[in-house]
Amino acid sequence: MTSTLEIRDLHAGIEGKEILKGVNLTIRQGEIHALMGPNGSGKSTLAYVIMGHPGYEVYSGDILLDGESILEMEPDERARAGLFLAFQYPVAIPGVTVANFLRQAVSAVRGYTAQREEGAPIGSNLMPMREFRKELTEAMKMLGIDPSFARRYLNEGFSGGEKKRAEILQLALLKPKFAVLDETDSGLDIDAVRAVAEGVNRLVGPDLGVLIITHYQRILNYIEPHYVHVFYDGRVVLSGGPELAQELEAKGYDWIREKFAEKVTA
Amino acid sequence: MSIKEALDLTFSPDAVKALSEMLDEPGWMLDLRLTAWRFFEEIPWPTGKEETWRRTSLRGFKLENYKPFATEVLTEVTQEASLATVYQDHLAELGSAGELVMDGGQALYHHLRDDLAEKGVIFTDLHTAVREYPELVQRTFAQMVPMDANKFAALHYAFWRGGTFLYVPRNVSVDLPLQTIARLSQEGAAGFYHTIIVTEESATVTLMEDYFGGVNGMHNGVVEIFPGPNSQVRYVHVQEFDGTLWNFGTHRIRTQRDAEVVHLMASWGSRVSKVWINLDLAEPGGRGQLLGLYFTTDRQHVDHHTMQNHIAPNCSSDLLYKGALKDHSRSVYQGYIKVWPGAQKTDAYQANRNLILDGSARADSIPGLEIEADDVRCTHGATAGQIPEEYIFYLESRGLDRSQAERLVVSGFFQEVLERVENADVQRKLESTIAERLGVELADLGFGE
Repeated sequence: MTSTLEIRDLHAGIEGKEILKGVNLTIRQGEIHALMGPNGSGKSTLAYVIMGHPGYEVYSGDILLDGESILEMEPDERARAGLFLAFQYPVAIPGVTVANFLRQAVSAVRGYTAQREEGAPIGSNLMPMREFRKELTEAMKMLGIDPSFARRYLNEGFSGGEKKRAEILQLALLKPKFAVLDETDSGLDIDAVRAVAEGVNRLVGPDLGVLIITHYQRILNYIEPHYVHVFYDGRVVLSGGPELAQELEAKGYDWIREKFAEKVTA
Repeated sequence: MSIKEALDLTFSPDAVKALSEMLDEPGWMLDLRLTAWRFFEEIPWPTGKEETWRRTSLRGFKLENYKPFATEVLTEVTQEASLATVYQDHLAELGSAGELVMDGGQALYHHLRDDLAEKGVIFTDLHTAVREYPELVQRTFAQMVPMDANKFAALHYAFWRGGTFLYVPRNVSVDLPLQTIARLSQEGAAGFYHTIIVTEESATVTLMEDYFGGVNGMHNGVVEIFPGPNSQVRYVHVQEFDGTLWNFGTHRIRTQRDAEVVHLMASWGSRVSKVWINLDLAEPGGRGQLLGLYFTTDRQHVDHHTMQNHIAPNCSSDLLYKGALKDHSRSVYQGYIKVWPGAQKTDAYQANRNLILDGSARADSIPGLEIEADDVRCTHGATAGQIPEEYIFYLESRGLDRSQAERLVVSGFFQEVLERVENADVQRKLESTIAERLGVELADLGFGE
């Protein structure tokens, strides 16, 4: 069965200030959607709200995964249900290696953790080391990541490109139904954008729905979206095919502002 | 003395005599014990007004609640395979060149690799050392931690039982770590383990000691470390006592010329723990690291009181204590750096970092400096903070629940201390004790090697 992630007239914000003002968006497994918009339009807020960041409040509307609301779910429950967010600014966790973190995450998402019985030996709630190691090594190879990466502390001292590749590595191992890539291209030089985009391209397929959030069109030179949405002032104002991205690249966002600003404030 | 009589004993000179008789000790040791008992009687109980006792209360601690020593008689075995599995499991976690297993101060097993024994390394329980190497023991025992160091040290010397005696001759380098298991299995009995480490010139050794057991008990230990000229000592003390036990400890190290020492204290267990750790840099060129780890839960209370004592010039000391606190637990870190007149070119550092996982936990840090030389570098700092919510959200977004996320962050927080140990085997064993304490597996053990 093809899964569906549906955002329905979503209003959300922070400390009483509404940022999302009625978002409607439906993504099916296997589809690639690009959400483009100027800075400050609320794109990252949408990413956080989908993942359940506790700092944001949902005032009305809903987010449905296969018809079931996820709004009451904690972020970890959403992750286990098949959602993934590639962060714009992944945090560094001192002293925790990539391998250690990933084994915990993979075990949690795939249900090993929940199976542990009271009094069982430590580690029995984790994916067996040998299996995990094999899978991690393969994923790193596929994404062109050096094996030494596994022993480095998560995001600590990583370059911008390394951080984003670490996010894609997590995406590869956690195998979600839906991934939101929040400004995955920001702050990267063109080689790094290409490398990250190639990684994403290896992962897309019938089992993965992707929402690429971006300010610029350039990542879309490497990842071809099926749908492009223009996001402005907290909602989707325009939807179309890949040609919409090119139009935005050529004309900038000013015409969007002119066209939709009045409507929104009215 | 019959078992019946021993069961009736309370802390008293009669109990001291009974213990010494049971251990079949030489007269000088009995005399020492009785002298210590007199010190114990002379030194008043802490009132709570003393600086070292202001934040750790002895309320609820009553000496008469404990038997002065374990009365069960245990026999030593010659094969590791004959030990109970609890010991075998512990030993298996660390590849070692020698092992010593004790319960209630009685040796159950000891082993040292032949080539090391041939080179003159001594690694045995302290009672055996008293019998077989009396001159070495007399040269060191109670020489570093005096009997009147504090009331608990005095009590210790009156009732000490069991412990590690480690001697490494000149130029001998012990390639693998040595390990000691010091257990207290008899409920309600007091334990008084005593450790002595002596390295002669240019010797190298690592000793890891694992303390556990002690249901409804108390432990009052002493550790004396004598790093000889240009020698290296790495000492790791893992305290995993039962959550009902009261723990007291007095550790003291005195480095000779160009000696290097690493002392790591991992305080995982006990109900209340109060440990004094004193590093004397007594001759030029000495270097010392004092490292600490603790993770407190429920109503646990852990108190470390350290002293970096720079007596000679050109020495360095570096202290790093890191702890995480949950529930209503509390930690106290009190540390002092003293630089004596003439101790020029001193480098002394001290940092205590705490992660507060619950609003009701509390960490107190009381650093102190006293500098009487002018050409020195000294810094000290203390922090107490919470895990940033952004860490938690990031980890939760990867499927970890809040508790797993916290524990993973804490294990990473401890890593900085582990790295300083600079010995992969010891690090791995410490990681496994952390994993056990936190209930998480550190999954990358050996990954990518």
